[in-house]
Amino acid sequence: MSDEEAGPRRARGALESEVMAALWAAGEPLTPAGVQSALSAGLAYNTVQTILIRLLEKDLVRRGPAGRGSRGHAYWPAQDAATLTAARMRAALDERPDRQAVLQQFAAGLEADDVETLRSLLAERDA
Amino acid sequence: MTWTVYLPLLLPALVALAARRLAERARPRAAVLGLVTASVLTAATSVWSLLLLVLTLFDDLPAMEALNSRSGMHLPEPVPDWVATTASVVLAACLINLARDVHLRRSTVRRLRDAGPDADGVVVADWAEPLAVAVPGRPGQVLLTTGMLKVLDADERRAVLAHERAHLTHRHHVAVLLAGGAAAVNPLLRPARDAVTYLVERWADEEAATSLGNRDLVARAVARAALATKQPAPALGVHGGVIVRRVKALHRPAPTTARWQLALPAAAVIACLALEANATLDFVAVLRAWLIG
Repeated sequence: MSDEEAGPRRARGALESEVMAALWAAGEPLTPAGVQSALSAGLAYNTVQTILIRLLEKDLVRRGPAGRGSRGHAYWPAQDAATLTAARMRAALDERPDRQAVLQQFAAGLEADDVETLRSLLAERDA
Repeated sequence: MTWTVYLPLLLPALVALAARRLAERARPRAAVLGLVTASVLTAATSVWSLLLLVLTLFDDLPAMEALNSRSGMHLPEPVPDWVATTASVVLAACLINLARDVHLRRSTVRRLRDAGPDADGVVVADWAEPLAVAVPGRPGQVLLTTGMLKVLDADERRAVLAHERAHLTHRHHVAVLLAGGAAAVNPLLRPARDAVTYLVERWADEEAATSLGNRDLVARAVARAALATKQPAPALGVHGGVIVRRVKALHRPAPTTARWQLALPAAAVIACLALEANATLDFVAVLRAWLIG
């Protein structure tokens, strides 16, 4: 484990993917300020803007005028790339049902009993 | 040849026996390394045992017929031909299983690699099913669906990314490939393979919790993603119960030890290697007696 991953501070190299994730989660175009507030930990406005430009150069996001009287740009994820990725992913996983079983998956489906158990575990913690 | 050649085929059961305990109590990293090492070594001795048994058929080779007809020729403790023949069938089945398992794992990764352009090694797929998988390679990639991103908040998304990156950093696919291969060779090792599959998830959870400094956050992300998954648990793999176990483990303090729990797999490995050495010496003795007469 490298030093930058060791602490609770975010890894410097992981910023692009976090901004990408935030744009997808938002479901609507975000201004750099909007991205800034959608990310959990405080990032400098300039940093956010730099990352957005980098993503734009990689063709992963698109941008347009922010509208509603505000100046600057709003950014949204490039849908076509993600649609193509999804098609490839589906093709790979649907072709053989056992493929999914050999992957390291973050989460898997649940059985009925587990749904209740998990809900109560979550509720316990949130209380 | 004596019983020492047969026993290594059964001893992997001890590794499997230890696997369950290790999965629940031990530090994931140590448990994975211990179980994978024990699985591979005991599976290798299984193959070697079968190979020795098959090789006892040497006196049936046409080229050896002449030696067979020598008067007074007598094999010390020979293996019955039907045992050797069975061993050859079993050995072939083991190797075919192994090739199949490795091929499936590698081809799945190959098909998912380069699925799309990445940001910091993260590729987003526009798909409502919440999925997050680590795709090993140089460099490795994290494949995330928009379905996953939309059910999580910003902190939880960081937890998923940290979890998947831990898989890539620690090359968990190698551990799973080796444990899967060992189980394909000797089915007695299947519980060990399943434990390793579970333990690499636990390892990645623990690492995400450490890097974010928050165990509850990782638990919440795992639970939320699982609750949003519409597909039922895959037939061959992780069942829902696994998710509950992971969440519960994250609500407890991180396990810190693994030493004494690794004693049983270590004993199984030592026993296998010792028995195998003994069986090999036996085989050499048989061979010499037969060739020299």
